[in-house]
Amino acid sequence: MSDSDQFNGRMGLIFASIGAAIGTGNIWRFPRMVGANGGGTFLVPWLFFLFVWSIPLVIAEYAMGKRSRTGTIGTFRIFAGRKFAWMGLWTAWISTAIGFYYAVVSGWTLKYFQLGISGALTGEKVDTTEVWNAFLQSPGQVIFYQFIVVLLVLGAIWKGAKAIEKVNFYLMISLFALLFLTLFLSLWMDASDGSLDGALFMFTIDFDMLFEPEVWINGLSQSAWSCSAGMGMCITYAVYMRKDEDTVLNAFTMGLANNSISIIAGLAVLSAIFAVNPDPLATVTGGSSAITFLALPEVFAQAPGGAIGPLFMMAGFFLALSFAAITSMISTVELCVRNFVDHGYDRERSVLITGIAIFLFGLPSAVMWIKLDSAGVAFPEFLEVQDHIWGYGLMFSGLFIAFSIWKYGYIKWRKQVDEGTAPDGLAGYMGLGVSAFRDDFINTGDNDLEVGRWWDIMIYLAFPILFVVLMGSYFTDMIANTENVWDPANPKGLSIILLFWGVVAVTFMFLNKFLIARPLFRNIPEGADVDISSLPGGDDELVVALGDVVPGFEHLAAKETVLEAEITG
Amino acid sequence: MMPTATQTSHLVAPRPSLGFLICLPLLLSLASPVAGSIAVAETGIESTPESTWSSEYVAYEFPWGGDEAIQFKEYHTYESMRTRMLRLAEDNPDIASFYEGLNGGMNARGQETTEDTYKGWYYGHASPWMKITLGAQDGDYNEFNGDTGNYEDREDVLVVGNHHAREWMSYEVPMFMIETLIWSYDNIGYDNDGDGKVDEDPWGDSNGDGILDDDGDCLALDEGVQDSDGDGIKCGPGDLGVDEDFSEQTLHDLVNNREIYIVPMLNVDGNRYDREVYCGETAWENCATSGWRKNLRDNTVTGITPLPDLDEQVDEGCDGVDLNRNYQFEWGAPLGATGPLIPGACYAGQNNDVYNGPVDTVDQDNDGRLNEDGVDGKDDDSDGLVDEDWLGGNSEPETKFIQDMTEMNDDNNNGGSDFPVTLTWHSFSELILYPWGHCQNCDNPDQEQLKYHGDVMATMSNYENMQSSGLYPTSGDFCDWHYGLFNSYCYTMEIGNAFHERPENIDDILLRNIGMGMYMIEIADNPKERADLAIANISQQNYLLQPTMLSIPEEGDVPIDICINNLFPYSLENSEVKWRMVKPSRLQSDYGPREWSTTEWTTASVKRVDEACTTGNGNGTLLRAMIPVSESTTGELHYKAMVSTLSGTDFYQYPANGEYYTMQITYRAAFGNFFGAMFMFTVVATFVWGGLAVALRIMLNPEEKEDVVSEGDLRSAVEGELD
Repeated sequence: MSDSDQFNGRMGLIFASIGAAIGTGNIWRFPRMVGANGGGTFLVPWLFFLFVWSIPLVIAEYAMGKRSRTGTIGTFRIFAGRKFAWMGLWTAWISTAIGFYYAVVSGWTLKYFQLGISGALTGEKVDTTEVWNAFLQSPGQVIFYQFIVVLLVLGAIWKGAKAIEKVNFYLMISLFALLFLTLFLSLWMDASDGSLDGALFMFTIDFDMLFEPEVWINGLSQSAWSCSAGMGMCITYAVYMRKDEDTVLNAFTMGLANNSISIIAGLAVLSAIFAVNPDPLATVTGGSSAITFLALPEVFAQAPGGAIGPLFMMAGFFLALSFAAITSMISTVELCVRNFVDHGYDRERSVLITGIAIFLFGLPSAVMWIKLDSAGVAFPEFLEVQDHIWGYGLMFSGLFIAFSIWKYGYIKWRKQVDEGTAPDGLAGYMGLGVSAFRDDFINTGDNDLEVGRWWDIMIYLAFPILFVVLMGSYFTDMIANTENVWDPANPKGLSIILLFWGVVAVTFMFLNKFLIARPLFRNIPEGADVDISSLPGGDDELVVALGDVVPGFEHLAAKETVLEAEITG
Repeated sequence: MMPTATQTSHLVAPRPSLGFLICLPLLLSLASPVAGSIAVAETGIESTPESTWSSEYVAYEFPWGGDEAIQFKEYHTYESMRTRMLRLAEDNPDIASFYEGLNGGMNARGQETTEDTYKGWYYGHASPWMKITLGAQDGDYNEFNGDTGNYEDREDVLVVGNHHAREWMSYEVPMFMIETLIWSYDNIGYDNDGDGKVDEDPWGDSNGDGILDDDGDCLALDEGVQDSDGDGIKCGPGDLGVDEDFSEQTLHDLVNNREIYIVPMLNVDGNRYDREVYCGETAWENCATSGWRKNLRDNTVTGITPLPDLDEQVDEGCDGVDLNRNYQFEWGAPLGATGPLIPGACYAGQNNDVYNGPVDTVDQDNDGRLNEDGVDGKDDDSDGLVDEDWLGGNSEPETKFIQDMTEMNDDNNNGGSDFPVTLTWHSFSELILYPWGHCQNCDNPDQEQLKYHGDVMATMSNYENMQSSGLYPTSGDFCDWHYGLFNSYCYTMEIGNAFHERPENIDDILLRNIGMGMYMIEIADNPKERADLAIANISQQNYLLQPTMLSIPEEGDVPIDICINNLFPYSLENSEVKWRMVKPSRLQSDYGPREWSTTEWTTASVKRVDEACTTGNGNGTLLRAMIPVSESTTGELHYKAMVSTLSGTDFYQYPANGEYYTMQITYRAAFGNFFGAMFMFTVVATFVWGGLAVALRIMLNPEEKEDVVSEGDLRSAVEGELD
């Protein structure tokens, strides 16, 4: 048996990836976007960008992780070159920084499951705003549930890939079941008032809105965020792929499954709200997590079936929500842990350290700056500011992935030009360079599906254009709608974002030399084709397979071997 | 803690551990800046200024910052005022420009002047002034005045301070107007008193209940602290909480629609002399009700040489001209002004303080007769020419500046002045004076209207409103000239209770007076018509229908109605409804409060509809604007109306004070149709679930590829997961 850690089966990879992709974004952001962007109209760009943005990036991530067999830092060290290991650090950092507050948010969902199951939200005179404010304003409660989430996540990933696989499998299956239960009750509610207007709204195209750029930009952003594409999650899980695993079909399966869940969750939420709310769109387009915790309990409390229906609906929905949050949290923590393990730290210690860090650095988000908005609803401003700063940093991770691919294509093409086997100039690059990555790392013969030239076009043309459109429209909107947007002391301004990004990026570039001075241990399954010699980082002597001994770092290898032996034994 | 490289590896150079390095930036996330506090409505009984308003407001700190003089905690000097005006013009070139005196040239009465014509006799400064209007640099150029901000369709307002050197508040108030106008532009919706409410207490008694403190926050204070300016009146003008939160929107609109000329310190010569020589820097100690009044004409040599001898020291018993007796209208009327009996000799005595300047010695019309047709708007000598050979007046650089600027400011070339409204600040006595000054018990043709506006301003300031000559007669003053010659509605404001007020009272006196200045600017579109309509109780009857009185149709545009009193001479062409939408922003934060985005104010034209409406005193006409709000829009519709009279511009605002009404717009479109939804559902289901099914099928079919997972179907695949 090799030292490497792998998923048992193909379904393990898919469930883990789906678990990472499906988060609160599918369940509370998606219905809001549908509401705000003309119902069925929104589905058009949203589906379009699934194939144009999300799936091509996931394919790239799988292919890179499968070949590098390391986490994000190692992957960029190998694929982009030694100078660019910091890009992997950026990817890991953004994901971890989001994890700090995401654990808090996951805690909220758990709390609401507890409230739901105990019937505290279904009474006659429940004021959901009061419940929400009381919860958010009691630090002990928020921290307690945050702590529970961190514990659950640590437990789930303690033992590595096989445990992650199992946990994700059970949670995802349960999530499907719970969402179907909620959907069933929602449709029942919606139909019982005479019309399925929620469902109709969700699937009816408003052709005027279809041509509004805003709807398309929203579709792109929903697709980019909710699918986890470009965030490094799929790189991380690809490390545990079996040696001859498919990349393309898995990417399609994962993307489509993610969108399926969105549709089910969207239908459930919209139907329920349309069934009982006199002005459903005003409610659903409000933004803010608080809407989920204020409006939905009110709506669910009116479910049919006496006392049981509301209870089932409430508990089921929030349990599903917490499962979605926790599986995303698992991938976040695993992404960080994998990077430690790659660099020779033993797994259990890495898990512990990451867990403690996630908990400690999440505390400010849990308790600091709990404010009331103009409507008297509590919201965590520190958490919001964190999201504001790091949320869009994710897009750069995607850009870095694309950069690696462009670079590989360029190197390959230059080499052939020097050998005289490829034409020079842009035409030459377009002819050879753009397809080099696809030929060498995606269509390797392991795939059920081969990916065609469309993928090259997406990565080389569509991706950079969409990236610019997305960031450009976001910044333009922010500048137009934020007061004192350039004031660095304004936590919702632009200067603060650029400042934090700048400081982090510069710090990481500086740290790069320390990163590449350490050996990198690749998690290679026995007999896998993981040749990296043609890659920019392929000649790095410190990049070795797990279990190999690197001169000067004997202590690392020794410990790892013992640990692996324990696990696999 | 994880082992560090230095502990565990002696073979390599010491380096920070990777774990440490990764954790390092975590600290960054804790260094987020302090968030701006979100105003949270407070409850409970408030009784002190400190618990009611922001500490800045309680300390009379003005939002534009700056030093003590700019904050009106001490008096500006001529230099500091000039520097500040320059700075404001430099920082706000789009709405303000700075000038000193005039360029000169051929003036309206055919005299050649140069920029030196307008410089003070003694210190040689030309009066500094500002022009405030949108596009202050981009309008028509007036070569004589040097002013680049002229617009034919905007009404002009002239505000002049400090005719009389010792009346220091009379230049502080116009400076305060300048600061407030400029700051308010683009600061719409500022919460001036920091109580969380916006524009809730505009100048004057805006709701007509006889109480100045419209929002009642001053009246809610403990009685002992209600008179914060110490003038003996509780919750009167100038007290904290009274008229403290005006509408920046209104001022913003005024800057867009008026040309505002502000000359804070006309008599620079006299003012410098008063401060630097006559009374000293702390004039309020020794000169509270005395001081230097006139300019610094050298009377002792007048008549010997045409130009004063600048080397000569000021002869306090003799020199100077009272500028506010030197305007030409009815100049020389023997009331409240004195001229030297013998030209060139000094006329000693108390009345020397109101010396009106030398008698004219030029035969302006060259008819061989001297001074046979003085300036009074009449043809005194029946020769077909009016006012062509005057007796005197307009002899001083400062009055020449005002007269030439007025006569040369004629954007529409109708031969008149462009100032429908003029205002001059003086001290003291807490009075509002309207023409005439030169005759007693003589009504002017607009007596009723001038009295009306004066009464409105008297409410704002708690000053007494009276005809100028009712106090004492004055001939040759600013207002008689402006009103007498150009029918400009002109007021003389007598500020405060001393010539030199104590510095600690500057700010509250300013607050007491500024509303009157802004009111004058506002009524400049047609002061007579405004007064007529208000006196007849007509304009007060118009109203914009509130959201509860309107209904949103099932489909199509949203109608907004204005009910106009049938006696009101409205103009359909120039009346309009302004509206904007506040919609949920695209930048919704996932975790914060709901974010809104607000569109710009847009104008919708109105049409008359054949539906009657009722006003307080009779039937009205309904004007309707259709607001293009699509059926699928949700959010808030903000709307307000600007109703114009046939002659005026657009400053009858409903609701008043730059406020607006808010209407909730709900989604009105159909939520969907069955067939469309079925179609889209089929498409989505085919792509998503069909695609998923195909993917799973390929995945689970072992014959597709030999090294695919060996399980035959989903069930066994699932079981495979569980083993």
